[in-house]
Amino acid sequence: MGFDPHEPQQQRMLAAALKSARVNVGELWLKYFSLGGEVGEYEVEAYLQGLLSLPVLQRDLLAMAANELIDKFPQGHAPYSDELGSPDGESPRKEPGSGSQQRPESED
Amino acid sequence: MARKLPLDELSTVIARIQGLLLTEEKVDRAVRLLARAIKDSVSGATGAGVSILDSRGRRTSSASTDEVVTRADALQYDLGQGPCLTAWAMEETVIVRDVVTDPRWPDWTDVVRDMPIRSVVSTPLIAEQECIGALKIYSDRADAFGDEAARVLELFAAPAATLLANIQASEAPHRISEALAESLHSRDLVNRACGILMQRHSLTVDMALAELMRRARRQNSTLGQISADIVAGIPAALE
Repeated sequence: MGFDPHEPQQQRMLAAALKSARVNVGELWLKYFSLGGEVGEYEVEAYLQGLLSLPVLQRDLLAMAANELIDKFPQGHAPYSDELGSPDGESPRKEPGSGSQQRPESED
Repeated sequence: MARKLPLDELSTVIARIQGLLLTEEKVDRAVRLLARAIKDSVSGATGAGVSILDSRGRRTSSASTDEVVTRADALQYDLGQGPCLTAWAMEETVIVRDVVTDPRWPDWTDVVRDMPIRSVVSTPLIAEQECIGALKIYSDRADAFGDEAARVLELFAAPAATLLANIQASEAPHRISEALAESLHSRDLVNRACGILMQRHSLTVDMALAELMRRARRQNSTLGQISADIVAGIPAALE
């Protein structure tokens, strides 16, 4: 994976959320594409299997696509990059956007 | 900035749609070949047929190896009774050892009595828990088929049902096109909203998208809704 230490965790939790909500890669990709996603279904599949690293914006967009798809399954929440502990030890946030003052970094 | 769009996937989606739009001719051909293969595989069979039915038991497609089968089959659907309709409705294999003595379909046996049809086996075509039709074999001799013939027919039925169900799905392309159109519309909307934010706040496209996502999460809304508000010029969305 890439240099972001949280990428593997974000990827695993997304994969777990999709699995528990029974959302397949094709459905996820179409939703992600409809939100402006830029990588192909093949790459998304490789990312979900931990074989490919994606830029943080694309990862967060995939998390958002998953969360919009599995809205009815609260247990299936896929985390955004800023919800996972930062490298300097900040504690992870539990809820999407709760009290988030932090502006997402510009990526790529 | 040249950005590579995932158009390969889009063409796959479109190809899938086109692949599903099989002509009736192709379905008929598949069904005809299947009927011939069945006839050749079951010893003692003098004819075989395949019927595809809709959810109300109306025939949408059918094929038979012989004219006799075609006529006997058509009579079942005209009369609303017969071994294939029973196989379809009960979702189980029906064996008729002798048409002349079998009491189950009096109207049908009455009219086929003079035809070279004495024994029949019919088995339902079940795909994903839905019965989509029936296979049948006929013989001009009584007692031509037993459990062995029934088993062979059932072996044919499972893969045939899966394939025919996919050929059949005439509503599927429409549903997929709708999903694709919706998805393209949503993507346009998000991109327009990004453009507005880029111009307004001097952002890069990635920054604009990240900003949209931040707003969607903060307002517990969807990216599509946030984008729609911005594009519609709703003042709160433009702050």
